[in-house]
Amino acid sequence: MSRSAARGIAGGVLLLLIWEVLARGLSLPAYTLPAVSDILGAVWTHRVPLFSAGWLTAAEALAGYAIGCVAGIGIAVLLVLLPPLRGGLLPVMMAINSVPVAAYSPLVLLWFGIGVASKVVMVALAVGFTIFLSALAGFDRVDRRSADLMRSFGAGHLAILWRLRLPAAMPLIAAGMRVSTVRSLIVAIVTEMLGAYGGLGWIIYQAVVQIDFVQVWSAIVVASALSLSFFGLVGAVERRVIFWK
Amino acid sequence: MTAARARFTAPIRAGSRFLLGLLLAAAVWEGAVILLGIRPHILPRLSEVLSAIALTPGAYRDGFLRTLAETLIGFVAGAGIGVLNGVAFFRAPVLRDMLFPIFVVSQTIPVIAFGALVVLWFGNTLMAKAVIAFYLTFFPVTVNTLLGLNAVDPRQVALLRSFGASGRQVLLRLQLPMALPQIFVALRLAASLSLVGAIVGEWFGDTTGIGVLLLQAMYNENVVALWAAILCSALLGTGFYALVALAERRIVFWGAEQ
Repeated sequence: MSRSAARGIAGGVLLLLIWEVLARGLSLPAYTLPAVSDILGAVWTHRVPLFSAGWLTAAEALAGYAIGCVAGIGIAVLLVLLPPLRGGLLPVMMAINSVPVAAYSPLVLLWFGIGVASKVVMVALAVGFTIFLSALAGFDRVDRRSADLMRSFGAGHLAILWRLRLPAAMPLIAAGMRVSTVRSLIVAIVTEMLGAYGGLGWIIYQAVVQIDFVQVWSAIVVASALSLSFFGLVGAVERRVIFWK
Repeated sequence: MTAARARFTAPIRAGSRFLLGLLLAAAVWEGAVILLGIRPHILPRLSEVLSAIALTPGAYRDGFLRTLAETLIGFVAGAGIGVLNGVAFFRAPVLRDMLFPIFVVSQTIPVIAFGALVVLWFGNTLMAKAVIAFYLTFFPVTVNTLLGLNAVDPRQVALLRSFGASGRQVLLRLQLPMALPQIFVALRLAASLSLVGAIVGEWFGDTTGIGVLLLQAMYNENVVALWAAILCSALLGTGFYALVALAERRIVFWGAEQ
């Protein structure tokens, strides 16, 4: 294990080294490939605007993520508790979900403006559907006989949901939440590219228009760092909370 | 007899149910807008959206085909090379240990942001979007191919070996088929991801494509055209996803219980 870990680190370092030597040695122009040191240097020089942009994007993604998680689980619970509602609402949800999420961005921008609200809504939409689908699949995974057994002991719908369905669904919900961390940042960045007052996506779009490659790279570095730490955080919480899987 | 008949009628029944659902959804959309008095700024009537498409069918057809081509080229290339790469990682442990962590990390960063770089490199060409769709497919397929290959029971490999099967035979007859369900999980994910990548790639100043239609409608604040473009992308997304799911059911026929 430690050997493969060492190889992994060696691979990463080697890749960066080859990158650096290639870019420096062949003195590649920035539009082909800027050197790693140049990118990191640009991150450091522009640390103030990049930091505030990263903070804005992270705040949008986090707010949307929280709303999306609550709404997704909430709607799934509602559909499980009220089966008649499920027949009517599920096809509508599926129809809304069949559109690639980026296609909603222009519409949401028109509705909610260029500010923070539109990004939060987009992230909540993307995260909400992911969580909703995994929560519903998780609730449905419960063995009928277990539910019947609990009911024969006089347990109500709520008790079955709380004691049986929710624990059974947790691993799937958690997997959805883990996937959604990356998705939330992607959607926030993509929506910012279309129109925003700030944020990493806005910086990337501006840099593309000005053909400033190093700036694009540095924004990507910051976005990746954000995404990695968010993913790691949720993963760590998941291992703590779901001890039974 | 009945089984054969069921096999014949089942797709028809499923298809007609799907069409019925579609008609119902259309009726609900149209009816809700009229009855609830929803302002066209929020949600225009479906008939308006459809007639907007019928008015300039050429633009929507061209955009649809262009985005389809971008996604399909990138997706097919990414899937093929991703599987090959997964096999290569499986066969060469040193390579895997050195590069696989990078592939896993790539799953947790917003790789779609690299689309901006790809567009800068290749210009506003079909190629640029195909490359975006390619790498959005390539990484998850590689990861899942390797995971699927690693999950094969070593005792089954030993059994085949004991019958004198060569490494290639073990790979083609046992390991790859066993990895297929995992590979298709990645393919389904990549199907929607690569489409988003192609649409977003078009935002950087292309002239045809669904992404362009979306962008133009937004700048003109033309909500009807916007919904028309959304409808097109829904059609493309659902069709593409259904194609991958159909292929999965055909190819991984034994994985039906999943």
